[in-house]
Amino acid sequence: MTLEAGTLALVLTVLFAAILVFRVAPLFLLRGRSLSPRVSDALGLIPAAAFAALVANDLLAPSEMATQPLMFALRLTAAAVVALVARKTGSLVWSAVAGMLAYALLSLLA
Amino acid sequence: MGPHALSALRRALPHAMPVMFAYLAIGIPCGVLEAQIGFGAPLAFLCSVTFYSGAGQFMLPQMLLAGMPMASTLASIVLVSTRQMLYSAGVAPYVAEGAAPTNFLFAATMTDESFGVNLDCFAHEAGWSARDALALNVCCMLSWATANAVGVVVGGLVSMPVTIMSFSMTSIFICLMVGQLKARPSRVAALVSVGAVFACKLLGLAGVAVLVGSVCGVLAGLLAQARGEVRA
Repeated sequence: MTLEAGTLALVLTVLFAAILVFRVAPLFLLRGRSLSPRVSDALGLIPAAAFAALVANDLLAPSEMATQPLMFALRLTAAAVVALVARKTGSLVWSAVAGMLAYALLSLLA
Repeated sequence: MGPHALSALRRALPHAMPVMFAYLAIGIPCGVLEAQIGFGAPLAFLCSVTFYSGAGQFMLPQMLLAGMPMASTLASIVLVSTRQMLYSAGVAPYVAEGAAPTNFLFAATMTDESFGVNLDCFAHEAGWSARDALALNVCCMLSWATANAVGVVVGGLVSMPVTIMSFSMTSIFICLMVGQLKARPSRVAALVSVGAVFACKLLGLAGVAVLVGSVCGVLAGLLAQARGEVRA
């Protein structure tokens, strides 16, 4: 799937504008001020919820679970290896390397 | 380059190096994926020095190649990017004295990793300024952008195992998620988020699964936090 130049430009402009506001606005709005506790709590929960959703979106495919259970188990096992490495090292690089290695090795075995 | 910028670069580089190496390793697979939706090397570089989001730049090709609708893909990336507000709010107290243009550029070039390193430097490095923090961000950004452009070129020249390489981003999400699961409300948020994503997919709503899952997770986390406060 290749995007047309116009669509690509629009997509990247929207994403850049959104992330620029998210990155810059709080810093300038909050200099010398503090957030309400509830807003602060909600913002603090976004990373855990969003990353969990992304992980689940990548790993959990109901149709694959039914038709290719071995492939599904392979991805879950590789993910478990990554979780262990992440917990042990806290390193993005080692987690990425461990994930790719585990996935590649398990694919060979499957 | 002026003497102040050079001095900031000298201070920032040792702190930036680990992140720069990580970005070189992760940025190439990202570029390989971006090539599949029509990115050329210059566009990959441009995207990386403007939008500059590892998660977002991986999600865009992954979701589109998986057949997700464009609106849902955009909404999911924007939602995931909202965490940047927290980082921006988190460093605000440290740059109160900084010049507005420097603060603007510093905030505009912050990522998960550079936020973490800068926060540590603000807390522990004597005299760490917004200018030093910006220098650190720029080093990391150039490393990411270069790796992305190289990935686009390499991806076009040789056949690469994209399913394996794209699992590197799943791995990064897992690592980022694991780092967030320290308190009970965060664990509840993550668990509910996973359940909601699965439910959406079962119901044939895969296009909005990440968005719905994240919102459900945050609401559940807030509820868990409120119940914890009542018990305490």
